[in-house]
Amino acid sequence: MTQDDLYLRAVAEFGPALARLARAYEADADQRCDLLQDIHFALWRSFATFAGQCSLRTWIYRVSHNIAISGRLRRRKLRLVSLEELAGTPAPDDPENAVGNARALARLEILIRRLTPPDDQVMLLYLEDVDAASIAEITGLSSGAVATRIHRIKALLSRQFRQGDSR
Amino acid sequence: MNDLKTVWKTQPLEENTMISLSDIRARAGRFQARIRWRNIALYAYSLANIAISFWLIASGRLSAFKYPMLLMVAAHLLVLWQINRRIATRPLPGDVAAQPALDFYRQELGRQADNLSRAWLWYIAPFIPPYVWELAIWLDRIQTHAIPNADYRLFLFSIIGAVSFWTAVWLAFSRASVRLQLQIERLNVLKAE
Repeated sequence: MTQDDLYLRAVAEFGPALARLARAYEADADQRCDLLQDIHFALWRSFATFAGQCSLRTWIYRVSHNIAISGRLRRRKLRLVSLEELAGTPAPDDPENAVGNARALARLEILIRRLTPPDDQVMLLYLEDVDAASIAEITGLSSGAVATRIHRIKALLSRQFRQGDSR
Repeated sequence: MNDLKTVWKTQPLEENTMISLSDIRARAGRFQARIRWRNIALYAYSLANIAISFWLIASGRLSAFKYPMLLMVAAHLLVLWQINRRIATRPLPGDVAAQPALDFYRQELGRQADNLSRAWLWYIAPFIPPYVWELAIWLDRIQTHAIPNADYRLFLFSIIGAVSFWTAVWLAFSRASVRLQLQIERLNVLKAE
């Protein structure tokens, strides 16, 4: 497959996931658009050297997360915290309302933007339904560290959204 | 929790989230042009400084400062070479994908911390010897009355200004470097888990 073919396949399969990633990282619409374009551009350039070193999905998530991290390093405004620190954040006063879809999304984005790497990445990949082994491959964390983080993320989300289902 | 995943994955997305190949190619062209112009500007700045220095030396103006000015030219060239070298070591697109996110993040932080902690060496230090040399000549010319109506106030003001500026730059670089080192240590702990 050529560089263009790989890019088109990536966009067809993961375009919406990349848009969600940009949305999670950037609250401002213009910066979000810039970040998304940066990710697409980096992906297209990266496919010039793709030779099946890993799965296409792992490659795409690595590139996109690494570009998002670089953007965050350049435009850091908020103090980032780890999952352990965020666990101490009070749950919303109105948990029932917080479960409404738009509010839930807004709250999720706030949580992700406050998290420091790689906790934010694990949370994003978890929400994208990526399995723990792939999260480990993408982030470079050990399987055990990923499992611990997913456990903490579930506890955090459960506390923040007070949902009965904690599978 | 699965509900949250569904909410996340089915969220309405903005329009224009898809980017065509022609957009990408146009961006690639702009990217190359930006790099080309940045390099041209970098060279033009240094060459202008060097040209002015040579003109001052050749025309006989400030002839007493000839050798420190030549040393300042060498400092410009050294800094220019260092900036180019450091730009050249930035990760290429292949590296962006070849490394897991944690390693890439650690490498980026390490690169920034290294550049910041060594900035005094490659960005400040090269200009110090010619500057001190120029100051020594200036002081000598004041003391020997080679400069008409010269006084020490401008001389002292120049020293205080330069020392304050370079100290502020060094402190800012050092503080930023320490902050980055703390983050790197945290990532090292995570990596060891």
